[in-house]
Amino acid sequence: MKNSVKLHLIVLAFVVVGEWIGAKQFNIGVGTIALFPMLYVLIWGAIVSWPKFKLMSDKQMKHAATVLGISFMLFVAKLGTMLGPSLPKIFEAGLSLAFQEVGHVIGTIAIGLPIAILLGMKREAIGATFSIDREPNLAIIAEKYGADSPEGRGALGVYVCGTVFGAIYLALLAGFLGSLGILHPISLAMGAGVGSGSMMAAASGALAVTFPNDAEDIALFAAAANLITTILGTYICVFFSLPVTARLYNWLEPKLGRNKLSIDKGGDQS
Amino acid sequence: MMEKAKILSLIGLIAIIGNWVGYKINPIEALPGMIMIVLATVIGLALATYLPVKIPAVVWISFIALIATTPIFPGNGWIVEQTGKINFMAIATPILAYAGLSLGKDIEDFKKLGWRIVIISLVVYTGTFLFASVFAEIIFRIQGRF
Repeated sequence: MKNSVKLHLIVLAFVVVGEWIGAKQFNIGVGTIALFPMLYVLIWGAIVSWPKFKLMSDKQMKHAATVLGISFMLFVAKLGTMLGPSLPKIFEAGLSLAFQEVGHVIGTIAIGLPIAILLGMKREAIGATFSIDREPNLAIIAEKYGADSPEGRGALGVYVCGTVFGAIYLALLAGFLGSLGILHPISLAMGAGVGSGSMMAAASGALAVTFPNDAEDIALFAAAANLITTILGTYICVFFSLPVTARLYNWLEPKLGRNKLSIDKGGDQS
Repeated sequence: MMEKAKILSLIGLIAIIGNWVGYKINPIEALPGMIMIVLATVIGLALATYLPVKIPAVVWISFIALIATTPIFPGNGWIVEQTGKINFMAIATPILAYAGLSLGKDIEDFKKLGWRIVIISLVVYTGTFLFASVFAEIIFRIQGRF
């Protein structure tokens, strides 16, 4: 209990200071980068929990992860209350919502798999690129290939990267793409519903900072897209993404694979 | 379950303080909305835990919050008004603070990864975000919505 009091007090302090600083936009010439409280507190948290500083025990960090899992549900509930009154608007955009899901599914594979093979990855490439590799996807890979298979290691690698910098990366990407003015904020909002809680929150936050007038709609459509990905994601992964990625790998690897690297394939991962 | 309800209430409190600092909404005014958000979450978690059907909590919670704010639900107007006082970013900020504070335990695993997997993960996130956005945009343009 004493441990968790310290944890919650740190969070409270972060939130107050973070919200007090508020959102900032930086011009980097070709576009802007959106910085906002969610990102500040995430980075401060990473610094405080950095193992070398020994400010937090392993137990406290594990507790933070547990609280994270529960607290994300509050965000889901808030987004749900925004969906209710806007159902007609969401149904109107139904076709786009259906197709954005296709984009979410093939988007990980379409560029990821060829590049992974070109970089010399072997079967790790399948696990790494068949989905965004969050917890449900890891379970699917573990069931089919085993957690310690090359496929499993590839998936776990992307999972760890996603945990460490996924939210920050997607926030910077979303803010930057938004500032270019090529894609409509609502299309980008749908893109932000990648099916991972913190990534979706950070990406839609960045869009809301970039397009303050559309903030409500951005949250709405990101939430709708994320919900679709959450509900359908597992089925799509089992019946489409994973078998298709494995087949594409078998077809592409002999064409693009770098044979000389296959000797030290263990080195790709460890 | 009680433990989860306590944690949710606590984060709800932190969020309405953040909502006060960042969006200038008095916490007392934001309280009824937050209570309803916490309630929807607790009910959803309970349904996911105790019902024999395998439906994830996220889906239950979304469904409950959604139904409670549609015109078929009595008092939906009031619920929408109250929950509307809480900015969605204000709820996400404490969540990402917990995410940050849990990162330390993943740093060792991260250091063990090769550079290739780091690049691929960036490509994977970019791909899924960009493809979905572009696909949505194409349909909107074909429909002449923008």
